[in-house]
Amino acid sequence: MIEILSNAALATVQDLGRSGSLRWGVGTAGAMDDLALAAGNLMLGNAVGAAGIEIPVFPFKLRFGADCAFALTGADCDARLDERPLLPWWTHRARAGEVLALGVPKGPMRASRALLCLSGGVDVPEVLGSRSTQLRGAFGGFDGRALKRGDVLRCGHDGHGRPTGFGLVPPALAMPLQRDGIAAVRVLPAAEYLAFEPASREAFWNRAWKITAQSDRYGYRLDGEALRPIAPMELLSHGIVPGVIQVPHSGQPIVQMRDAQPSGGYPKFGTVIEADLWRLGQAPIGSRIRFIETTWAQAVAARDEARQWLAKVERMVALHCGARSSGR
Amino acid sequence: MKKTDAQREDIARWLAGTDIGYFELHTPFETLRFGAPEARPAATTLRAGSVGVFRHAHPLHAAALAPIGEPVPAGRAVGLLQIGPLLLPVIAPVAGRVARRLADDGATVGFGAPLIEFQTN
Repeated sequence: MIEILSNAALATVQDLGRSGSLRWGVGTAGAMDDLALAAGNLMLGNAVGAAGIEIPVFPFKLRFGADCAFALTGADCDARLDERPLLPWWTHRARAGEVLALGVPKGPMRASRALLCLSGGVDVPEVLGSRSTQLRGAFGGFDGRALKRGDVLRCGHDGHGRPTGFGLVPPALAMPLQRDGIAAVRVLPAAEYLAFEPASREAFWNRAWKITAQSDRYGYRLDGEALRPIAPMELLSHGIVPGVIQVPHSGQPIVQMRDAQPSGGYPKFGTVIEADLWRLGQAPIGSRIRFIETTWAQAVAARDEARQWLAKVERMVALHCGARSSGR
Repeated sequence: MKKTDAQREDIARWLAGTDIGYFELHTPFETLRFGAPEARPAATTLRAGSVGVFRHAHPLHAAALAPIGEPVPAGRAVGLLQIGPLLLPVIAPVAGRVARRLADDGATVGFGAPLIEFQTN
């Protein structure tokens, strides 16, 4: 059991997302850094898609009402349990009454969201097959809303006997992706790509894009050289998914993120591949990002690489925890 | 100038009236010790619990987990052993300080390899 002590808005309960409900107009939601959530769960012996808490605004504090094993992944944010400093991407054990405090993310690999996983997962009801908070529809997660001070959440179990006190090499280091020293994501050209001027297409791949302050779980608004269509386009609304890069009339692209609405009418320039959405999800506001053109086959290979990393984590954690609990 | 016998007796008398168990006085000319020598720090060697790559710092951090000579509480990680994606801590068994690192950062080490000379308080 944990009690939220901060009024820091926008912390939400998330799992790997609500797939299969787009046809009813229900978006996917889910953790902006799905790898961090999955890895945190695997360290605790949870199901890979157990619900955790995504924390994008710092500082943030919560109190453990009972003993509990937990994992902290995602942004490295100077975490402390009472006064003890905690290592990032690590499993820990809290005792009843201890306060977990997250500070401001820092370091050269600065990320923007911390993921807190609890042993057994955050115990909230499943809605349409997922525990993710659907902010637009105000359902799922904890009462369909962001957490606030005084909220009390239960975890699946206390994780008693489960080894803690170990960690992982973060995937940003294990699977780095940069272009000219700038964080990068891979993009598949989308339906209206060829309807943009060749110079705009070239600039899209060759220039850095700034992530503006108008960026959140719904979408990232980017700032850079405006993308110009060859001729004005008026499209009927159509289905869109997280990762789709739309170009409104201003020419400044918008990348749809996990809380994207399920339909839109702007021309689609490209789609950030599923395997790289976590990289964008962790890119801080004000930072710059590069886009790398990719193919369907490379996108599938990238997804497989992430899956293989998780499989390796699961195997190594099982070996370590097996050795520890058999009396070493 | 060295302390005279009378000055040494003065220090000893003064110490007898306190709860100080061990007292060391460094001057440019000599080092004087009073009290029980067993109160001096003891060293332990922390060894690798597994085959792996020894890391002085967390991979996200530039600074070492335990700078040489800085006090660390019992249970704190003073080094890391990386095994594939996994990071295992090299833990301070009691309160003390890292006196010396016995393996390089990034060195591949075998089971039982000496990693850290740890001085207990």
